Amino acid sequence: MTGSQQTAQRRSWLDTAALVALVGSLGMAFLTPAEATQGNVARLFYIHVPSILVAYLCFTVTLVGGVAYLVTKRRGWDHLALASAEVGVVFTGLTIAIGMIWAKPTWGVYWTWSARLTLTAVLFFTYLGYLALRRAIEDPGARAQRAAVFGILSIALIPIVHFSVLWWRDVHQPPTLLRPDEMQMDTPLLLAFYAGMIAYALVAAALIRRRYRLADLEHRVEVATRTGSGVIAGDAVAAPTLEGR
Amino acid sequence: MSTQVALWPQIRAVAGRDLLRERRRGEVTWVTLPFGAIALLLIPLAIGIDAPTLRNIGPGLYWIVVLLFGVLVTVRRTGAASDADSALSARLGIDPGAAFIGKSLANLGLLLAFQIVVGAVAVVLYDIPLDRWPWLFVIIPAAGVGLALLGTLAGSIAAGSGGSNLVPFLVAPLAIPLLLGATQALDADLSDGNGILAWVLLMLFVDLVLAVVGVLTARPLQETQ
Repeated sequence: MTGSQQTAQRRSWLDTAALVALVGSLGMAFLTPAEATQGNVARLFYIHVPSILVAYLCFTVTLVGGVAYLVTKRRGWDHLALASAEVGVVFTGLTIAIGMIWAKPTWGVYWTWSARLTLTAVLFFTYLGYLALRRAIEDPGARAQRAAVFGILSIALIPIVHFSVLWWRDVHQPPTLLRPDEMQMDTPLLLAFYAGMIAYALVAAALIRRRYRLADLEHRVEVATRTGSGVIAGDAVAAPTLEGR
Repeated sequence: MSTQVALWPQIRAVAGRDLLRERRRGEVTWVTLPFGAIALLLIPLAIGIDAPTLRNIGPGLYWIVVLLFGVLVTVRRTGAASDADSALSARLGIDPGAAFIGKSLANLGLLLAFQIVVGAVAVVLYDIPLDRWPWLFVIIPAAGVGLALLGTLAGSIAAGSGGSNLVPFLVAPLAIPLLLGATQALDADLSDGNGILAWVLLMLFVDLVLAVVGVLTARPLQETQ
């Protein structure tokens, strides 16, 4: 095993920080006093809300990576776009799953046709489409360019998803964070939210870092396979020489 | 010495080529259009034939059919650029942005025809009231332009390499702003002109963004084909 591989496998300070922050955030979510109206079930929000905000952040990084790739053609930006899109999809899926678990005791159903729920599912499928597109295109250069364009288009859904609860008032409550007016929340609950935000952002950063390295390795394997840089039969044949020399 | 051909003749040539191919093969006329009409005919058989309910949900169903089958119009085989087409366009020096606009115009023409025919079928089958018909002259083209641009762009993104099967999957979620704009504009309170206008402006804004993104990314996308 080479030194660089050992370094890649070693747990970094980012992984440790993410783990510590995640444990701390979950601890705060359980130790914070129960919310006045919803009781203990509201503790799910300390995962649900930070997850979707981190997903937005990941998709924004995908946009930045895509634009930067189109401008510079540097492979690293494409790896960053891919890594952040995958992590963003995971966090969007987590948001939907946690939201459904919360909805059952609160609304009596796992799913309701609220604009926010529906559009979050649409966002999930849009970025699944982004990942499917990447798998469908074999040429690495074409894949990176086309995915970059699709990443630029897809970002338009995020403001629609986020502000949908203000534009179409239904059973879903207005945004807890990132809202146009002043936020109204008691300090202990707010602290648990912020702890969740920091923790999930660190987890996302750690996952993106690892996925970036994996994408880089995948790319090297792909290039080696395509260019056939391994040993070929002709290499084993030496120039003819006289016997005994 | 190289001669620079103006953009408009290039746009017209690309649009004309696509429409001519469609006229010869009739893929939209004989396959997609009847398929859309049949979908409108089948839906009541599945959900019930209560006339007030159908009248109520008719406009929504119409827009769903336009969205889903409209994507099929934009990814039809007669509009797909083969490797030979791409090579010929490159040798002729056709500007990628002009090619994008030309293909979008051809798609728009076919989509408008599709929207009008399927709309007439929906009005007849579902007894949809046309009390705000003047707005349709704005809403139908605005939705058509957006869908044509989006379909053309997604077609370029997913062209070749087996990715073209993905186009409906890529287009459907991104067409949500257009679908919302069209349905909400028709649902808006008639006495509040601003309500309808806001949704129409949303669609026009989406159209503009798609046109700008499509033209700006046409060259990098062409390089990958």
